[in-house]
Amino acid sequence: MPPQSQTFTRKLSHLLTVPALLLALLLALLAPALSNRVWVEFGPQQHVLTLNPKLGVHTRLTDEVEPWKVQRSFEMVRELGAPWVVEYFLWAGMEPRPGVYDWSHADLVVDHAVNQGLTVIARLGYVPDWARPKNSIHLYLDENGYDEFASFAAAFAEHFRGRVKYLIVWNEPNLSQEWGFRPADPAGYTELLKRTYTAVKRVTPEIQILGGALAPTLAPPGSEWGMDDLVYLQRMYDAGARGYFDLLAVHAYGWTFSPDEPAAADSVNFRRVELVRQVMEKNGDAAKHIMITEGGWNDHPRWTKAVRPSQRVAYTIRAYDIALHDWPYVDALCIWAFRYPAPAGNYQDYYTFVDGNFQPKPIYLAVQRYAHGDPWEGQ
Amino acid sequence: MFAHLRSLAARLRGQAARCRRLLIPVFAGVLLLAAGLGAFLILRAGGDSALDAIMRNGVLRVAMDPSFPPFENLDAQGKPAGFDVDLSHAIAARLGVRCEIVPMWFDQIIDAVAAGQVDGAVSALNVVDARTKEVSFSTPYVEAGLVLAVPPGSPIRGAADLADRRVAAEWGSGGDAEARTLQKGLDGRLTLVLRESGDAALGAVVAGQADAVIIDAVSLALYHGGDLAPVGPLLRSDPYVVVVSARSPRLLKAVNEALAGLQADGAIARLRARWLR
Repeated sequence: MPPQSQTFTRKLSHLLTVPALLLALLLALLAPALSNRVWVEFGPQQHVLTLNPKLGVHTRLTDEVEPWKVQRSFEMVRELGAPWVVEYFLWAGMEPRPGVYDWSHADLVVDHAVNQGLTVIARLGYVPDWARPKNSIHLYLDENGYDEFASFAAAFAEHFRGRVKYLIVWNEPNLSQEWGFRPADPAGYTELLKRTYTAVKRVTPEIQILGGALAPTLAPPGSEWGMDDLVYLQRMYDAGARGYFDLLAVHAYGWTFSPDEPAAADSVNFRRVELVRQVMEKNGDAAKHIMITEGGWNDHPRWTKAVRPSQRVAYTIRAYDIALHDWPYVDALCIWAFRYPAPAGNYQDYYTFVDGNFQPKPIYLAVQRYAHGDPWEGQ
Repeated sequence: MFAHLRSLAARLRGQAARCRRLLIPVFAGVLLLAAGLGAFLILRAGGDSALDAIMRNGVLRVAMDPSFPPFENLDAQGKPAGFDVDLSHAIAARLGVRCEIVPMWFDQIIDAVAAGQVDGAVSALNVVDARTKEVSFSTPYVEAGLVLAVPPGSPIRGAADLADRRVAAEWGSGGDAEARTLQKGLDGRLTLVLRESGDAALGAVVAGQADAVIIDAVSLALYHGGDLAPVGPLLRSDPYVVVVSARSPRLLKAVNEALAGLQADGAIARLRARWLR
C-alpha cells in the first residue's frame, strides 16, 4: 500500500476508534436504565454475625426469578444471624435435555448466598420428563434413571466446586409420594445413594454428601403411604448405605410438642432426632454427624398440628439452643421455611419467618435478637 | 390452425397427466390426516376415563388432610368430619355414587390427584397456578380471602374510608401485608394495630382499640367474641376449590355441575350455616 494510503488508513482508524469507544461506554452506562429489570450488584463479601453457629433456615427460591428478591432473601438470612441455608435445586430445571445444562438460576441463587457469607446445603431432586415414564410425577425415579441422576449430581458438584460444599441426595424417600407413589424402598434408595456418592466423589472428593432426609412418620408396617423413618434408616444400613454418605440429613418437626418433650418411638416430636442418632450409633456410625435440614413449628390458628405464635417463637429458639449445647453431633439446624415467593394461601404460610413482601414476622425478630444475644419478647 | 390445436391438446393432455399424478399423493395425504385426527380423538376420549371408572365402580375417592377444622378433622370416633367431608359426600350423591374419604398429608394431595391415586381432592385447597398442567380446579365453593370488617354503626364502608383510621391485623399475616399496602397508598394515614393472633386482632376492634380489621373471611365467620361484619368488596380473593386431574375434563364438568346444583338448592348455604358460624 503506498505510504499516503497507509497514513490515511491510520488516520481513518483513529478517527473511528474514538467515537466507537465513546459509543460503547455510553451504551454500557445506559444499559441498566434501558433494561426493565432492577440492576443488582453483589456488593462486598459479607459475613454472618451470630452467637449460634448452628443456626440455619430453609429458603425456597426455586420459583423466585427476580435477582433482587434472591439477594434480599439472603441478606435477611444473614441479618437474622443464620450462617446455614438449605435450598432446593431442581434437576429438571438444570438439565432440560440429557447432557445439556442450564445453571443460570442456580448460579444466581448460589452466588448471592455465598456473597452474603452463607453456607449452602443443596438439596437435589425433581426428575425431568426425559428421565421418567410418561404420566409419572416429577418425584418418580426408578433404577433406569439412577445413573442419570448420579451424572447430574456430579455435574452439579463440579460446576459449583468451591461454592457449594454439601449435597442432599433426594428428599423424604420413605414417603410413597416422594418416591413417585411407589412403595417406600430403602434398598432402592440406597442404590441411588451409592451411585450418586460414587459419581460425585469421582469429580469432587471434597464435597460432603448427605443421605436420608427422611420424613419423621409413624406409618404402620405395610402402609401404602410410607415407612417409619427409624425402620427405613435401619434398612438403609442393612442395604449397605453406611459407606455412601458423609452426614445424615434429618427432618425434625415439633408439631404440638415442646422441644423438650422426650423422644419416643411412637411419637413425632423434635427430639426424635435422638432416636435417629441411636440407629446411627447402633450401626457403627457414631463418628458421623447430622444436619437437621428441615423442621420447626407452625402457628396457624386452626391447623390441628400448630401451636400458638408465642409458643412457636419460644420452641424455635429453644430448639436452636438444644442443637448448640446438647447435641454435639448436630452441625446445623435449618428451620422450615424462611419465605415463600408467593403466599400458599393455606396453613403452610404459617411456617414462614418473612412474608412475601419481606416483612419480618415476630419469629424472625425474636430469633434475630436471640442470635445477637439480645433479650427477645416473650423470653 | 389444426397443428396449433393439436399442440394445445397435447399440452392439455400433459397437464392432465401431471394433475393425476399429483392427485394420488394429495388424496393419500388427506386420508392419512383424517386417520390421524380420528385416532387422536379416540385416544383423547379414551384418556378421560376417570368419570367412567367412578360410575362403573360406584365410588368417588376423595383425598383430604383431616387436620384443618372446620373443613376437615377427625371426630371423637376418629372419623373424618367437617365442611369438606359433607361437601364430598354431597358431590358424590349428585353423581349417583358413594364417597370414600382418603386421608393423607396435605403435601401429598395435589401429586396424588395428578398421579391418579385418587379421583379428586376437597381439602380447603386453593388454586395453584403452577400446577395447572397436572390438575384442574373447579368453580369455587367457599371464599376464604381477605375482608375488611367493622363493628355495627361504623361509618367505614370500604377501604376508601380508612384514611386516619386504626386498622387491626394479625402480625405477619396476609391481613398485615394488605394493611401495610393500604397504609402506603394513603401516604401513611392509617395506623396499624398489630396483634399476635387473628382472634386478638378481631378482639382489638371489639374493645375499641381499632376501627376495623383486615382478616380472612373464614376466621371472621368463626369469631364469636363480638359482632363484626364485612364491608366493601373483597380485598383479596382466595377461593377454595375441588381438584381433579387435568386429564379428566369430563369429571371436572360433572363436579362443576354438581357444585352448581348444590349452590342452587341451598345445600352449600346449609353447610356454611352448620360449619362456618
